[in-house]
Amino acid sequence: MIRRFRSLYGASPLHLLVLLACFALAGAGVVGWHLSPGDFRGVLAWFVAALLAHDFVLLPLYSLLDRIAFSRARSEAVAGADEQPAAANSRRRALGIPVSAVPYVRVPALLSALLLITFFPLIARRASAAFEATNGVSEQVYLARWLAVTGVMFALSALAYAFAMRRARQGRDPGAGPRRRGRPWLRPRAGVRSRTPPSQPGSPPAP
Amino acid sequence: MRLPGVDPNRPPPGPFRPDFWRSPLRGRWLTSVLGLILLIGIPIVAITGLISNVAYQPLLGANSIGTNLSPLDLYVFTWPTRPVWLYALTEGLHVTIGLALFPVLLAKLWSVFPRLFEWPPVRSPAHALERISLVLLVGSAMFEFLSGIFVTQFYYPFPFFFTSAHYFGAWVFIGAFGAHVALKFGTMRRGLRTRGDVMEAAGSGAALEPGPVSLTAVSPGPVTMSRRGLLGTVGAGSLLLLVQGAAGAIGGPFRFLSLFGPHTNPGSGPLDFPITETAAAAQITPASVGDAWRLEVVGKQTLRFSREQLLAMPQHTYDLPVACTEGWSTTQRWTGVRLRDLATLAGVHEAATVTSDSVQPAGYVVTLGSEQVADEQSLLALRVNGIDLSLDHGFPARVISPAVPGTHCTKWVSGMQFSPVPA
Repeated sequence: MIRRFRSLYGASPLHLLVLLACFALAGAGVVGWHLSPGDFRGVLAWFVAALLAHDFVLLPLYSLLDRIAFSRARSEAVAGADEQPAAANSRRRALGIPVSAVPYVRVPALLSALLLITFFPLIARRASAAFEATNGVSEQVYLARWLAVTGVMFALSALAYAFAMRRARQGRDPGAGPRRRGRPWLRPRAGVRSRTPPSQPGSPPAP
Repeated sequence: MRLPGVDPNRPPPGPFRPDFWRSPLRGRWLTSVLGLILLIGIPIVAITGLISNVAYQPLLGANSIGTNLSPLDLYVFTWPTRPVWLYALTEGLHVTIGLALFPVLLAKLWSVFPRLFEWPPVRSPAHALERISLVLLVGSAMFEFLSGIFVTQFYYPFPFFFTSAHYFGAWVFIGAFGAHVALKFGTMRRGLRTRGDVMEAAGSGAALEPGPVSLTAVSPGPVTMSRRGLLGTVGAGSLLLLVQGAAGAIGGPFRFLSLFGPHTNPGSGPLDFPITETAAAAQITPASVGDAWRLEVVGKQTLRFSREQLLAMPQHTYDLPVACTEGWSTTQRWTGVRLRDLATLAGVHEAATVTSDSVQPAGYVVTLGSEQVADEQSLLALRVNGIDLSLDHGFPARVISPAVPGTHCTKWVSGMQFSPVPA
């Protein structure tokens, strides 16, 4: 009986019960929306818009920007991907760049973008008239604060990068150690290699 | 189950092909860690949100934010008056933890992005139902987080009443979140154990991961950031937003850290503490609260008091927080007449609720429960920190009551109606 259910449904009866409970609770929420004052279609439109804006605008936009911004860094990394970490590092050092700048740009940029997404109503003065009447201060201060915080974060990152470069150039711990220097949590771990040698046993065949 | 015209082995080009996804950071471990953080944090936000609804005492007067949905609205306890900072704590947690989880939510959704383009799109009725529940989960999560974050900034771009939409959206979210946790808890636990697994990080991760679709890229791009680097960045983002919420909630010497707190301090010295709404925004004119102002107290009999008469009554002073629904709070020293003394003067000696009206045109009309009215610290405040209230802080008189939401501390009070509670 249960085996027949599984083959028809594709999962255990418990799976179905959990989802039915979910839909019942969600249904109660939707009924609540419907009974509340205001525009029910507006709620639904907002619900769908929030979903679409995230899945089909925000995420693809971020991926695209990141791909464009760091494509050069990627191609450098690709060129060095099959080398041993030490070899890739010495190759970069030969070019006069002992430490990759990518994390030092990406991290403050991501944090600044996060602040912008979270506080854009204040920063972009979206709530302007109502806000200024309600609060008695101009919203323009928030744009200035966001720019200031962004500037401080990039400045700190630049400082960290300069330190990392200096330490790498001085070559305090030559040999296998270069990845441990500076801020190791911002760098790829030794194990996280971009490509596995194709001969490794247990790898699936390439699609 | 086969859909007509869908070949499960031949996905259309683009995101439906596994080799489209390049980031070497995606994988079970990353998704599981982010999932675990959300699993701990979201119940705190959900429970404090539901507590906030209880604190609004929706069964009283016109407090309700919409139609009550028994049995979902479980008012198993009446809102207490102690500790006095109770609402400051629960609402501060709601807003602060909610803000801190926002970057974690974004990262978690990014980590499972390839799943949106699974091929075939539907494998079985079970798979179809689960994907529908995920539409509810992601949609309600974005709806709840965005609407909440917008409203803390006075941004109301909605054609609906925020409070009830946020409340009922929470039930959609809680249902979908609970189902997701029930179905994925085991996957998360197994995923957490893959930590440090070098194989999983590389292209061979697909072999380790059972199931039809892997989160690990089959042909990953170069590594330009480690997983720990990504988690560190998400953590830094969380901390940044956490400070924004916490600085407003804790206040005092930390309030300067609340760079994006939309509230403002309209005064200096003893009056230097934040408010949500200025007198100008509330359309309070000096004339409407001038010498002609009277407080109308309605009970068994109706009385009218001038401000001087109120000041001549026994005055009491307490340190009480004003805790805004937007998550910030501020504790000040309030002086005024006890609500229960006013009730007695109006001839109401038994347990009673009080409904306050404001000079403010179209202001909130809110009702406090009998526990609040009976509490010795519930005041009609006339002074704050030893001086008269300013217009922005609610002159000539405002309600202040322990542990109630700030919106229930009516400013510019014009009338109070004490209604005995039917025994």
